[in-house]
Amino acid sequence: MSVNNWLKSQRPLAGNALAFTVWLNTANGLLAIVQAWCLAVILNAVIFAGAGLTEIQPWLWSLLGLFALRAAVVWFAERTAFGAAAGVRVALRDRVYRHLQRLGPGYLANQRSGALVETLTKGIDDLEGYYARFLPAMTLTMILPLAILTAVLPMDWLAGLVLMVTAPMIPLFMILIGSGAEARNQRQWKQLARMSAHFLDVIQGLTTLKLFGASRREVKVVAQISDDYRVSTMQVLRIAFLSSAVLEFFATVGIAIVAVFIGFRLYGLALPVPPWLAVPDVTFLQGLFVLMLAPEFYAPLRNLGTQYHARLAAVAAAEQLIQVLEAEPAQSVPGTEPLAAGRPLGVRFESVRFSYEEGRDALQGLDIEIPPGQRIALVGTSGAGKTTVVNLLLGFLTPTGGRILIGEQELSRIDLDDWRRHLAWVPQQPRLFQGSIADNIRLGAPEASLDAVRESARRARADQFIEAPPDGYDSRVGERGAGLSGGQIQRIALARAFLRDAPLVILDEATANLDPESERLVQEGIDDLARDRTLLVVAHRLATVRRADRILVLDQGRIVEQGDHATLAAAHGLYARMIAAYGDAGQGVADLQDRSKGS
Amino acid sequence: MKDILRLLDLFRPYRGWMLLGTLAAILTLIANVMLMAASGWFLAAMATAGAAGVAMNYFTPAAMIRGSAMLRTGGRYAERLVNHEATFRLIASLRVWFYSHLEPLAPARLQQYHSGDLLSRIRADIDALDNLYVRVLVPVVVALASTLIFGVFLFLFAPVLALTGLIFLLLAGVALPLWSQSRGQAPGRRITEDESELRTAVIDGIQGMAELTVYGVTERQAHRIDDLSRRLVADQARLSSDHGLTLAAVGLCASLSLWVLLWLAIPLVRDGQLMPPLLAMLALFTLASFEAVAPLPQAFQLLGRTLAAARRLFDIVDTEPAVREPPGLSPQPKGFDIAFDRVTFGYPKAARPAVADIVLHIPEGTRAAVIGATGSGKSTLFNLLLRFWAPDSGAIRIGGQDIADFHGDDLRRHIAVVSQHTHLFDATIRENLLIANPDASQGAIEQACRVAQIHDFIAELPEGYDTWVGETGVRMSGGQGRRIAVARALLKDAPILLLDEPTEGLDAATERDLMQALDRLMVGRTVLLITHRPAGLDWVDQVLVLDQGRELAHGDVSVVPQATQAALLAVKP
Repeated sequence: MSVNNWLKSQRPLAGNALAFTVWLNTANGLLAIVQAWCLAVILNAVIFAGAGLTEIQPWLWSLLGLFALRAAVVWFAERTAFGAAAGVRVALRDRVYRHLQRLGPGYLANQRSGALVETLTKGIDDLEGYYARFLPAMTLTMILPLAILTAVLPMDWLAGLVLMVTAPMIPLFMILIGSGAEARNQRQWKQLARMSAHFLDVIQGLTTLKLFGASRREVKVVAQISDDYRVSTMQVLRIAFLSSAVLEFFATVGIAIVAVFIGFRLYGLALPVPPWLAVPDVTFLQGLFVLMLAPEFYAPLRNLGTQYHARLAAVAAAEQLIQVLEAEPAQSVPGTEPLAAGRPLGVRFESVRFSYEEGRDALQGLDIEIPPGQRIALVGTSGAGKTTVVNLLLGFLTPTGGRILIGEQELSRIDLDDWRRHLAWVPQQPRLFQGSIADNIRLGAPEASLDAVRESARRARADQFIEAPPDGYDSRVGERGAGLSGGQIQRIALARAFLRDAPLVILDEATANLDPESERLVQEGIDDLARDRTLLVVAHRLATVRRADRILVLDQGRIVEQGDHATLAAAHGLYARMIAAYGDAGQGVADLQDRSKGS
Repeated sequence: MKDILRLLDLFRPYRGWMLLGTLAAILTLIANVMLMAASGWFLAAMATAGAAGVAMNYFTPAAMIRGSAMLRTGGRYAERLVNHEATFRLIASLRVWFYSHLEPLAPARLQQYHSGDLLSRIRADIDALDNLYVRVLVPVVVALASTLIFGVFLFLFAPVLALTGLIFLLLAGVALPLWSQSRGQAPGRRITEDESELRTAVIDGIQGMAELTVYGVTERQAHRIDDLSRRLVADQARLSSDHGLTLAAVGLCASLSLWVLLWLAIPLVRDGQLMPPLLAMLALFTLASFEAVAPLPQAFQLLGRTLAAARRLFDIVDTEPAVREPPGLSPQPKGFDIAFDRVTFGYPKAARPAVADIVLHIPEGTRAAVIGATGSGKSTLFNLLLRFWAPDSGAIRIGGQDIADFHGDDLRRHIAVVSQHTHLFDATIRENLLIANPDASQGAIEQACRVAQIHDFIAELPEGYDTWVGETGVRMSGGQGRRIAVARALLKDAPILLLDEPTEGLDAATERDLMQALDRLMVGRTVLLITHRPAGLDWVDQVLVLDQGRELAHGDVSVVPQATQAALLAVKP
């Protein structure tokens, strides 16, 4: 579907408001014709019939009534126009965001989040002009000029002819000039999105820039980008302004010809027309009426011209929206079965294959067994496929081959929402959301009481630092938990997992970024959490996986070794080599832990 | 008002453009009014002359109609072009102005802001400022000038007509704008807040989608976004309804002005004080003249919004940087040893100092480590050494020079940092490396990457060094990103090297590779490492163990186990 048709097809979202807007504006145009007639009658009577106030009083009062009526109509038309666009905007923003949710984190990983944010905020607001102004204006160009012609033709068909001849010139020239604008405008919008993404990037990386003394250099870049934006915007605008100048020129010429034709005939001069054309006579009343209607005849077209850039902005925004909406979720047929397995859960990977791009397998027929209630650790070098395993298990990715079984049920058949209700996940870099600390702990259990929140924080060993500041659990946290250390954020995420009370817990690098003290606390928390649950720990730090029931060693998308720590350490495989490479760093921490436990 | 004056001050460099744009706007308006008035008079005069059979000069009015028609078309084109050019120049310079004030605040003063909030300031708020010029400043000046001209014109025919014309123009141009401005203030402020909140929710909702999905709260976030979206629209609806009302009211003022004029002028025509064709001219003149004040109500309504945006910008611009730059030139350090001399520092509003009485001397070319738990104050030492903050008491010296005498950038030129929080920019690998040294040659870049053990990886990529690093470096693993950071530090080639948990979160093999890379990097440099891991520190010359901002132990590596254990025991309940 073309962008234009897509925009038009969203009209139902505006409800009746769009039709009302057109009706009200039509009424306003018709009232303008009546008003012109009243005024012409009054002026004619005074100028030619020598009438005084008494004779024309009824006309004056009707004029007053018309004025009031038109004011009311204008007000209401403005309100319905806004309402029409507002309906579309609200509905689309919701739909697009929900679609992004369906596409999921797997889709987002390949997108610039800055540009998506721009599309969802400013992009959707850019549709306003299209539905509130452009669409009604377009319909009105087909209604009002016809109505005015109907009024003019019986008075003076020659003037009507002039209007009819000049009118089509306007859209013709506008299209001629504007055809290049469309492509430029597309580029323009992309540049705006790029500019936004760049600014977000610079703001988030300002400290890094500063460390390299590059933050001041960036002033020049900001200036350059802003200036490029000005130059390209002006290119678009110059065309838009030129096309509206052409429009204005034809409208003005049309009015001038009408005025001159009427004036010459009133004065009795011959018109520069072929002799066979029988020129009709006009009275001053008719002439004045027609002259006053001439600008009204061009007004809808002129109005459409000024709204043309509103359409361009909407088309550009719509392209981005369509791109998102047309993307298909990775799992085309979502599962519908409820999760059958009880707690604790067991998970099995059977020859699971996955590739991010054709021909390069991230997982090559992976077999994993995670028995219910056990603590399984997944280790391996970076790029071995650990994150892919987690993403498959979370349902963000779907295997390209093989199958994942939860109990005896295939994951692809299970309703993902239901599946995830039985999961808790502590990612490598947990994110804190706008809101209070309590809100953040409650993420997976919004109904939980404050007591339950405190209890989970206590078990995640997070209660002390949370309760230290006066606001305690009501302290607001910003993006990336400004003011909180990595270890503290991780413990808040762990508290989330506790409160979630899920039968399967996935910890991704859960103890990275921690000092020994925090690490010991988090370990205690994890030991606590592991009771009655199935636990999958993904770790780089070998010290953190020693207590696992079984360790799976992943290399290049395959399990190369498995067993408990003692067995694997004794074997001469990858795990033993990793221990050797890791040296006494991990050992040191483990020793410290053992020592502090012993004391 | 103070904010408006401040803004006008920022506009000063563009006053030439602005004057030109405003003049063009005034000319266009007058041409338009002249066209309508002349046509009305022309028709009526031709008709009366034709009826009476007297001769008249119809060339002058016809020429006037032609002339004003052309002036109107050309004037409008020129006015739009000039004013938009001026606006975009202005906005570009405002962005630079804002960024230059934002930059010194990082990172100390910006921690409290969400990056989405800052983005909306540098983008949307600055865009909103263009309203002040195009939609407020220009229309006000145009309205003032043309009202004056129109008043004088009407006065030539009858003082009473001038008076009523002025009354209605003032009503439409002053009373209505003031009303709509006071009505628009509250929703204007709310809309700015709504937009910022919506943006924040969308950023949370997109960047945090994985967690929202797993915790089953996608629905709630969708709801939150929908609610904020509706709230924004509801606030805009109020503004829009008022906009419609004022639009209608300005039209009504024009109509009423015409109506009153008819009541006043018709008797004048009857008494012979006014030539009949002039009535037609005055009627059309009156209707057209209101174009001068038509944009004003909306302009003033937008003023509330514009000022709210301006205030949000001034908030940032007026924030004092955490560290004041010294006057004069930075000194040249005589060497690169580092000395902390009884340094004490507390963050604003913190109960206890983050570090107290720290004494540490690192001779040039040697290596020191600071060990401590989260919150022990080790990162604070880096922040102080990098002059992101300044000590409350005591001094830090590099090569014998107090770092307080350095400009921040001059000081940081001598220091390279490898940390776990390295930001990879949304740009190519090459561009990310060039940040460290924009003049580095391809050879130097490759050399640095070889030492950092990342060259082979990059060389294998189809696009090599021109490979795009995804947003915040998502397409690179943690270890790869860290090695890029090492390569950056190599390219910077600074005599002092700060390491902030450089191997944190890496697997053993990667860590070993990275340590080898770091080994090469550390040769001949003064090195300070901060870490929470007490193990594997045999390569440092001295260790300082911190606990809650105070020195717990200081000496060679042998002091560590005892001190760490003491600290662990101390916090045990």
